[in-house]
Amino acid sequence: MEKMEKMIEVHDLRREYVTKTGWIKRQKKSKMAVDGISFTVNKGEIFGLLGENGAGKTTTIKMLITLLAPTNGSCKVFQYDTFKQAKHIRPHINFVFGGEMGVYRRLSARDNLMYFAGLYKIKHEIAKERTQRLLDLVGLGEEGDQLVETYSKGMVQRLQIARGLINDPKIIFMDEPTVGLDPVGANILRDLIRKMKEEGRTVLLTTHYMQEADDLCDRIGIMNRGKIIALDTPEMLKKQYQKGDEEISLEDVFLAIVKGRDN
Amino acid sequence: MKTMLKILGSTMMLQMKQSFARPMFRFCLLLNPIVNTIFLYELFFHRGVNDFLSYVVLGAGLMGIWSCICFSSVGDINRERYSGTLPFIYVAPGGFGLIVFGKVLGNTLLSLVTFFISYLTAAILSGKIMKIEHAGLFIIAMLLTLVCFIIISICFAYVLMLSRKTELYMNLLEIPIIFICGFTFPIEVLPKWMQQISNCFAPTWAVKMIRMSVNGGNISEFGNSLFILMVELLILILISLVLYRYMDRNIRIKSTLEVC
Repeated sequence: MEKMEKMIEVHDLRREYVTKTGWIKRQKKSKMAVDGISFTVNKGEIFGLLGENGAGKTTTIKMLITLLAPTNGSCKVFQYDTFKQAKHIRPHINFVFGGEMGVYRRLSARDNLMYFAGLYKIKHEIAKERTQRLLDLVGLGEEGDQLVETYSKGMVQRLQIARGLINDPKIIFMDEPTVGLDPVGANILRDLIRKMKEEGRTVLLTTHYMQEADDLCDRIGIMNRGKIIALDTPEMLKKQYQKGDEEISLEDVFLAIVKGRDN
Repeated sequence: MKTMLKILGSTMMLQMKQSFARPMFRFCLLLNPIVNTIFLYELFFHRGVNDFLSYVVLGAGLMGIWSCICFSSVGDINRERYSGTLPFIYVAPGGFGLIVFGKVLGNTLLSLVTFFISYLTAAILSGKIMKIEHAGLFIIAMLLTLVCFIIISICFAYVLMLSRKTELYMNLLEIPIIFICGFTFPIEVLPKWMQQISNCFAPTWAVKMIRMSVNGGNISEFGNSLFILMVELLILILISLVLYRYMDRNIRIKSTLEVC
């Protein structure tokens, strides 16, 4: 059997947030957002992280994309440490956060993409060609020269996807990319994610939409209170919780696992 | 090198577009120097100060540049943070230090407009044109003043990456720096102990050099000020380098890149 190339390796990863309150007598408060998680993601895989709000999904992604230092444990992308060797990782990854943030609203979509292409040291001619290709890919080919502030939420999110692909990343991290989108917009995004897989990219995705995770992900990790409490393919997860011949959805599995854990 | 210049250029252009689109920046850039020039003109005109026009033009111009830096260059980090673009530019391989430099440079170049506006306003009010005795020295002094403002702005931007309170402190510093560094009057009118503090700030020497070049001061005095300014600039550059290293490490430990 061919050995799978591991793109992401996480072992016993922890992240604690410490906040200080008070003026004279400073008091420390700490919260373990990620509490000893371990998983790997193979090349070309769509890996989903599911969990309630505050489960630690976004914190995990932030450590993987070199934005946040782990408190403990090992966090590697392309076998490089995400904290100490970030420079080796950054040119080959990109990330998309859900919502309407992360782009310059007073610039056009084309200017946004050209600017970010420059920051990734992409040659002008290549950047120009890639910008047009990405605008077409996300369905903004005709509106590419309009200011982003005139865009709808869905258009901004599609632009975010285009920005996330501007450096032709080997791994793309997507944190709730379809949040708040109408069904048509969400469907376009899901098609784009499938296309990324076809192109051989690795995708790490977080979402609250169970059907979306079921449709897209090769494997899923379910997080609860900073820990991974289940990790398998959607089919195997459903199989484990199936009773008799009755069909079970991933949402049923998720609720059963999380509620079982909370109780 | 070519790639670095491209990143610098595109960041400058982006920054200028973004800054000029903001009403507060336009106020600092266009209206503020007119108001300041009128106030300073009235203040100096009735005091019988020699060469008062240079105080009016230079004072209002420098106040304008400094205000643009206070309200824009530093605040831009917070604007990037609130628009959610800060994480993207921070991890971009182009280099965050270069991007911050490009942003500050864009704002600083744009803020030079304040000088021309002050110059024109003073010319209209007085019917006279401010004469520059040593044009060469004036250019050197102006360039060093801009370098000085740019480094200070970069240092504050790095500190702001670590603490969101920095914007407040920077705003609090705006007026005291104008007074203590002698933007609008010679620091010699301040008490001795205050002059000692003034001398610790690089802008004080930069402003002295500008004034000397305009009013035709002694060349050796100009040289002395230049030497002290260079030493203080070197210290500022070292501080900015140390701050960059500290910021780059601690920003990820303390998680201050985004709005919490």
